[in-house]
Amino acid sequence: MASPASPRTAIRWRGALALGLAAAFGLVATSWPLLAAPGGALTETTSGPWLFALLLPLVTAVVLVQLADGGMDARAVAMLGVLSAVVAAVRPFGAGAAGVETVFFLIILAGRVFGPGFGFILGNTGLFASALLTGGVGPWMPYQMFAAAFVGLGAGLLPGAAPSTRLGRAGELAMLAAFAVVASLAFGLLLNLSFWPFAITEGNLAYVPGGGAGENLPRLLAYTFATSLGWDLGRAVTTALLIVLTGPVLLRVLRRTARRAQWV
Amino acid sequence: MTGAHPVAWWSWALLLATAASRTANPWLLLLIIGVSGLVVTWCRGDEPWSGAYRVFLLIGAAAIAVRMVFYVIFGGAEGATVLFRLPEVRLPDWAAGFRLGGAVTTEGALAAAYDGLRLATLLVCVGAANALASPRRLLRSMPAALYEVSVAVVVALSVAPQLVSSVTRIRRARALRGNTRRNPANLMRTVVVPVLHDALDRSLALAAAMASRGYGRAAGIPAPARRATSAFLLTGLLGLCAGAYALLGKATPAPVAWGLLAIGAAAAVFGIAFASKRVPHTRYRTDRFGPRDWAVLAAGSAAVAGTVVSGAVEAGAVWPATSPLTAPPLPAAAAAGILIAAAPAALVPARIPQGGPA
Repeated sequence: MASPASPRTAIRWRGALALGLAAAFGLVATSWPLLAAPGGALTETTSGPWLFALLLPLVTAVVLVQLADGGMDARAVAMLGVLSAVVAAVRPFGAGAAGVETVFFLIILAGRVFGPGFGFILGNTGLFASALLTGGVGPWMPYQMFAAAFVGLGAGLLPGAAPSTRLGRAGELAMLAAFAVVASLAFGLLLNLSFWPFAITEGNLAYVPGGGAGENLPRLLAYTFATSLGWDLGRAVTTALLIVLTGPVLLRVLRRTARRAQWV
Repeated sequence: MTGAHPVAWWSWALLLATAASRTANPWLLLLIIGVSGLVVTWCRGDEPWSGAYRVFLLIGAAAIAVRMVFYVIFGGAEGATVLFRLPEVRLPDWAAGFRLGGAVTTEGALAAAYDGLRLATLLVCVGAANALASPRRLLRSMPAALYEVSVAVVVALSVAPQLVSSVTRIRRARALRGNTRRNPANLMRTVVVPVLHDALDRSLALAAAMASRGYGRAAGIPAPARRATSAFLLTGLLGLCAGAYALLGKATPAPVAWGLLAIGAAAAVFGIAFASKRVPHTRYRTDRFGPRDWAVLAAGSAAVAGTVVSGAVEAGAVWPATSPLTAPPLPAAAAAGILIAAAPAALVPARIPQGGPA
């Protein structure tokens, strides 16, 4: 069972193992253009990459089943529902403006307060609810859900307990903001990787099947420079800024709720 | 009379998308877009998500535009018929010697357009599923093992509108107190924080209500069954990882790698099904997958079958050459299959929105 102290979702060793395997699969599913060896099975067919997009939801479902197995109680479910609704509500604020991303700071702060398991599930449910509400279920959604889930997981794994001094609180915010920058940039690069082989297929910036990392890495970097670097930087800056600006208040609100949920 | 099962709609749309991914013939791709548009206009309701199709049409158009811009700036397929020339820049060798600008040929532009159209068609098919399938009914079809997570999503879907009304309420109260300042720090303190407190307190009340009705109690699942489920799930994940890793290299023969992947997927699906069996939940008005839903599914399969037949018989027509320039022919079998996929427009009753015809 979850610990009675708060709605944190407990992760036991089976859940941790499932998370590790899923992370390995996700890494292969996104970065196969760089890793695939010439002459390997993936470079010979065109259907392989689509298969990854279809298998990723299955992997996510397996991890969620494993995490939810006895680890979630009514409080975690209700809290997840409300926070997912908040994620879905703030997400449209970021749409349209270049690189403004208004989802990550919430997932990072909630993951920090409620732990890695909760952060992982919130990344999934939040983006899923928002996609359902706006009718935006596209081929990019499995990748986005997966990546956002690992952002929440990483935020929950950051070291240190809730600080009580002014200096400690500032340090915690700085750590969360630094994590936000790293996570946003990695998220942008991995999402690029997942979509790059489909977005363009010919020309100087296109993925060369069987080219190996030496041939494809410069092309990927050029593609990133040409298309999304501005967005990725914008996402990193806005997420870090939102954490610094809203973090003190939101962390207090979330911790108050975690305390009030101690009624077993 | 309600529409078809959401799983049927999603399968139909994904089958159409599969058919689109198996061809680059512009006539077939346009036919697929036309068929999906026809079915959407006939079968969609007037729910909030029904307008998604138009958004996805715009996204598809953007995909074609991006593809063309990339072709013009960064080059692509070469050809003989030069449309116009851009000033050419060659990057130094350390930047991998990319060429920017240069000759823009009709053949290359056409190849880029076909390719963009293919991606746009895939996106439009997904958009059709978004417009047709009810997300709430789709959530009810989630496997029972994901019960907790899908309940969280259902809670999110019903809380989101409440958040909007909560914002209006708190802003009105704020205005009544004479606070109309607009600086962000003040808004944060007097609007965002109360809204969040309100939502989180409500979630605690909801949790208390759920717990007092026996929700979330440890259901009597014997430990061996739980261990067996975990074993299946973890074996499935291991198989998927091993299969994906084997696909990357060439040390493992392709059939073995695909086999590993398939075994892993099967074990994972079985694990989820096994876990769902043990969850003692009853369902209110189960959503059955009826004969009409099977017909929708079969209509989608016809499109894929048509492209497969055409791909075997007349491969040149399914993947038309752009150099030399010719008008691409229309493969008969594939076109027939895609036309059959329009059948749901006749099978599923059109739902006229209230307030007159759309």
